Amino acid sequence: MAIVDVCGFSFAYPGDGADRDAARVLRDVTLSVEEGSFCVLTGPTGCGKTTLLRSLKPELAPVGERAGHVDVLGIPLVIDGGTADSMAPRDSAALIGYVMQDPDAQIVCDTVWHEIAFGLENIGMSQDAMRRRIAEVAHFLGIEPWMRANTETLSGGQKQLVNLAGVLALRPRLLLLDEPTAQLDPNARRLFLMALERVNRELGITVIMATHAPEDVERMATQRVEMGPIGEPGKRADVERALLTRWGSRRALLNGSQPVPAIEAQEVFFRYERTAPWVLRGVDVRVRQGSVHAFVGGNGCGKSTLLKVLSGIAKSQRGRLDNALRASQAMLPQDPKTLFVCDSVAEELDEWRQRCGYAKADEAKMLERFGLAAHAAQHPYDLSGGQQQKLAFAKLLLTGARLLLLDEPTKGLDAQACADAVRIVRGLADEGRTVALVTHDLDFAYACADEVSMLFDGEIACTQPTGDFFAENLVYRPNEESRLFGALL
Amino acid sequence: MHNPFRTYHPAVAFSYLACAIVFSMAIMQPVYAALSLAGAVACSCVTRGVRKTLRTLGGVAVLACIAAAANVVFVAAGSTELLRVGARAFYLESLVYGVCSGCMLASVLLWFSSYAACMGSDASMALFGNVAPTVTLMVSQVLHLVPQFVARGRTIVASQDAVTSAEARTKRDAASDRLRAISVLAGWGMEDGLVRGDAMRARGYGCGMRRTTYKRYRIRRADAAVFAAVFALAIANVPCAWFAVSGFSFYPALEGFAPLWAYAPYVLLMAVAPALALKEWWQWR
Repeated sequence: MAIVDVCGFSFAYPGDGADRDAARVLRDVTLSVEEGSFCVLTGPTGCGKTTLLRSLKPELAPVGERAGHVDVLGIPLVIDGGTADSMAPRDSAALIGYVMQDPDAQIVCDTVWHEIAFGLENIGMSQDAMRRRIAEVAHFLGIEPWMRANTETLSGGQKQLVNLAGVLALRPRLLLLDEPTAQLDPNARRLFLMALERVNRELGITVIMATHAPEDVERMATQRVEMGPIGEPGKRADVERALLTRWGSRRALLNGSQPVPAIEAQEVFFRYERTAPWVLRGVDVRVRQGSVHAFVGGNGCGKSTLLKVLSGIAKSQRGRLDNALRASQAMLPQDPKTLFVCDSVAEELDEWRQRCGYAKADEAKMLERFGLAAHAAQHPYDLSGGQQQKLAFAKLLLTGARLLLLDEPTKGLDAQACADAVRIVRGLADEGRTVALVTHDLDFAYACADEVSMLFDGEIACTQPTGDFFAENLVYRPNEESRLFGALL
Repeated sequence: MHNPFRTYHPAVAFSYLACAIVFSMAIMQPVYAALSLAGAVACSCVTRGVRKTLRTLGGVAVLACIAAAANVVFVAAGSTELLRVGARAFYLESLVYGVCSGCMLASVLLWFSSYAACMGSDASMALFGNVAPTVTLMVSQVLHLVPQFVARGRTIVASQDAVTSAEARTKRDAASDRLRAISVLAGWGMEDGLVRGDAMRARGYGCGMRRTTYKRYRIRRADAAVFAAVFALAIANVPCAWFAVSGFSFYPALEGFAPLWAYAPYVLLMAVAPALALKEWWQWR
């Protein structure tokens, strides 16, 4: 029997009502998911994946105008566009699990064990039953070593596993996940998805997961629902042909000696506290003016820290650092929310107009360039993670900075937006601006960087022009085929 | 050194330290004051480590000396004259009284630092959580959110400072930038609050069931044994202390010391923490 049955479901958020038909987020969606399957919802940002998932969970169902039917666990939630309160709140809480995108914001309690117990406490479970459930789920997900840890000290990947554990402890039959890995680095993403696969295969829990990177879950998915076009994968070899000409023309810049490089670091050492271990131990690197320089490396190798040191917001304790463009730099932080202060996207771009002396027309152009024109009146927090990233980037570009420092600029972006980011970054380099970026996304580094440095153990292991760098690597290589390459071609 | 109270239910550490603090504060008698100080130092050594104890003791000693000196200078009572400056006499009795109050101050401060080491947020919540489950959840959230809030404030200021191309050019801009950081923080916090509210509801918060509280610690036989010992010693000490204090006087002369047996319960009570540590040391010697 189908555990989820959606039939002709449409949904529109309450609005001005000018054009109800155009305002619909979901239009005539029909979906049937069998118990025990692993269903992947794909589609570009803003195609209604979140709205559909939330409509399947009574506590989170959005308010608006609906049509059609929704049945979950054999119980009707929406009948002919009207909501039915036929599912008991306790059942809905326990039997339908929901994991969201942001690992931090979902955490409620201060310690891991309390966080996992939270849901069980809510449904009034007895001590012994709770003990057993927590023990089981912690064992299953392998989180025993940090059961007593403070949730604030966990990494993003660990936080997301704790969120999953908190939901699994309730023994759901259906698990809904809304881009749960979008904010995680590739390694954490793999670990999370492996755990999710075991949840599906070994525990027989039905999984419905929304994602814009379906290649990660292709192996485990039993059903795929496309809610919008996400583009076709392209071959690296095809992209390389286009890149070869650029690499050739940039060679002169990279080989020629510049009188003043944008950034020059010599034997830079850095640690966060006197007693803390060194994060950077002797970094030597030169970022040339007018080039795009990518820093890649594993988790916790100090990439983001290096960017902070290069920008001057973290002071190195030893070594020499010259930043010729310090007076005209802009940094895209790991969390774009740290840059948002206004009530709408348009105002956000307007914030620094007088200070930096750009024109109103530039703002409109920037909205267009980043595909945010349709969202100009929206609150920045109502944008998706990828759109927030774009907005922060646009805001920084307007300042006219000569040096851009980007921390994981492609986090949360779909392939199309990622390809746009490549074009924008290349455009900056063509204008003679300098870009230093830190990324996990090797495909992105491959397509947009002039030079790549690998950071390992607090040092720069090597720095090479992009073509040579990737040609000599065995493990650190871009994919042979990816959606980003498809979008670039 | 490993904190010996860690292996016991928080109620054990709480009852022991609460008794010790109350007795140290309430009993003003030289022998008791000396015993309290010795007990407080010993307990701090086993729960926090020798080095930290010495550091605290260094600071506390200064305070104690000031208290003792002040009493000698300001209270001219007693019968044993130590020295005379002009018409002003300084007496041994008032010096002893000052030293006693200094010891009392030092021991109370040390007990409280041991308390902080033994009763973390986790332990306090396990102890008082059952009284008010909602408060427990609130405390847990506060403990989680306050450090997060502070860390975020730093991140926001840093990411603002990193954008030098939009740097404040006037003093007014600079001032508004600091205010801006606060409004970013508030906006971010409120947005997170919405997501967190959803995450809480998704896991059944407010679903109409009566909430239970997961108990991290259970009271076992060993906990009960130590608890009973502490309780018995504390009860036994009440009449003994009363006897010792009521018969004793500082002024005009130090007299009326109680016989040795009257101090026995307090000596034993003070020895509980070192004894627990000693037991552990014996097992692993």
